[in-house]
Amino acid sequence: MKLYFKALGLHLKSELEYRASFIISFLSQILVFFSYYFIIIALFSKFSNIKGFTMYEVLLCFSIIQFGFAFNEVFARGIDKFDKLIIDGGFDRLLLRPKNIILQVLCNESDFIKVSRLIQALIVLVIAVIHLNISWNIFRVICLILMLCSSIAIFFGIFLLAASYCFLTVQGLEVRNVFTDGGKHMAQYPIGVFKKGFVYFFTIIIPYGFVNYYPLMYFVGKNNSCLYSFSPIVVFVYLIPCILVFYAGIKKYSSVGS
Amino acid sequence: MRAYYSYFKLKFISGLQYRSAALAGIATQFFFGFVYIMVYVAFYESGSSNVPMNISQLITYVWLNQSFFALINQFYKDQELFQLIRTGNISYELSRPKNMYFLWYFKILGQRLANVVMRFFPLLIVTVLLPEPYKFSAPSSLLSFGLFILSLFIGTLLVTAISTLYPILMLLTMNEKGVVNIVVVIADLLSGVGIPIVFFPNFLKVISSYLPFQYISDLPFRIYVGNILLQEGIHNIFIQLFWLIIMIILGLILMKKNLKRVVVQGG
Repeated sequence: MKLYFKALGLHLKSELEYRASFIISFLSQILVFFSYYFIIIALFSKFSNIKGFTMYEVLLCFSIIQFGFAFNEVFARGIDKFDKLIIDGGFDRLLLRPKNIILQVLCNESDFIKVSRLIQALIVLVIAVIHLNISWNIFRVICLILMLCSSIAIFFGIFLLAASYCFLTVQGLEVRNVFTDGGKHMAQYPIGVFKKGFVYFFTIIIPYGFVNYYPLMYFVGKNNSCLYSFSPIVVFVYLIPCILVFYAGIKKYSSVGS
Repeated sequence: MRAYYSYFKLKFISGLQYRSAALAGIATQFFFGFVYIMVYVAFYESGSSNVPMNISQLITYVWLNQSFFALINQFYKDQELFQLIRTGNISYELSRPKNMYFLWYFKILGQRLANVVMRFFPLLIVTVLLPEPYKFSAPSSLLSFGLFILSLFIGTLLVTAISTLYPILMLLTMNEKGVVNIVVVIADLLSGVGIPIVFFPNFLKVISSYLPFQYISDLPFRIYVGNILLQEGIHNIFIQLFWLIIMIILGLILMKKNLKRVVVQGG
């Protein structure tokens, strides 16, 4: 872990070397992120609710999923860009070192400009929660923390799966965008507004539903079973096969040379 | 003229080689289309007071957006041109006895057309066959279809003129991510790819009407679905033409200014 933080520090330092460029990019990311929730706000200026969900409920849903995604973009960039590591043969170098392989991949790259998205997601989250009149209790606090953690976990899992796929094909998987960007886009809204087939797929095959739908139902008081607040745990269980698949991929791995 | 044409053809044909990328693109566009539409349907079913577009118009609009996404999106940055600038290989381009602006313009046009040719047809075919309410509907009238084609054609030239400005801007600022990205995001937001302009809050509608971005795809698509009076549509096509000319002149001027002070540091 110490190693990872050291690597992070180095990445941050190298990015801050180009200060003007860093600041401008940071600003442009703020705009990018704004364009995401702008759509939601614009729609709610014409409609009062979506299947009973109000604007702040949707914004809460949105901020949780964006938080997890941005978190992975900052801290797990190496996994996201794993195909590059395979193509240029850099992965061989990592395999030679006597440290945990996933940790090393994580150390390999990071993208601090995306911190701006992380901050904005948190701001949206706080605004949404303030407007929602939550009747706080211990379960709701746990629920919120679990939702945020599981949001990080689900994207980490999907990135790992996509990375494992690189072992087979060398090339990155282009359809993966459907599950990461597409999934992120979809899970901005409470998953219940979609059609049944969609809901099943994104609850069972890729458990987005457990990140910010079932727990959210309890959190905003649409459902009174406090069991719902623990449902994000499913996502952590989901992470286990993802990690196993990645290690299975390493066993099969044969270098492409450099 | 022939040199530009062959540049265009070269890019177009080589662009057609990337079939698996196109397939992935189609899958992505389908998925996004469905998500957008399900969200809209859910909104409309939840009741509303004053919607600026009826649901079947909106769904057709979404499918048009998704089908022509490769043509109209602002995120297309010609990596080859950016590479040229970064590595200093731009000196080769400079040594060609042709206007560099138009070389770049036709390069980007060829690439964009190749991308969209492979994608839009399968998407439209399948979406026509979908059940209600997901169906892609026919144009509102034959005349509006004709105007749509004309306006989409000008929109294509306009979006190419705007995307040619991006590498020029990078050459100007020597920063690929900052300023260029800010322009790209604003253009994307105001072009109506995320959500049709008619859904914008009023002040943004006003701002956007003084900028060229809504004339790329929002105008032709609104003409197609019949969300705009024909007369107003024709009027807007003239504005579209005006913006096209302005953008090309702006590009030419910036390029000329740029080339006076360009310094190639080895390479």
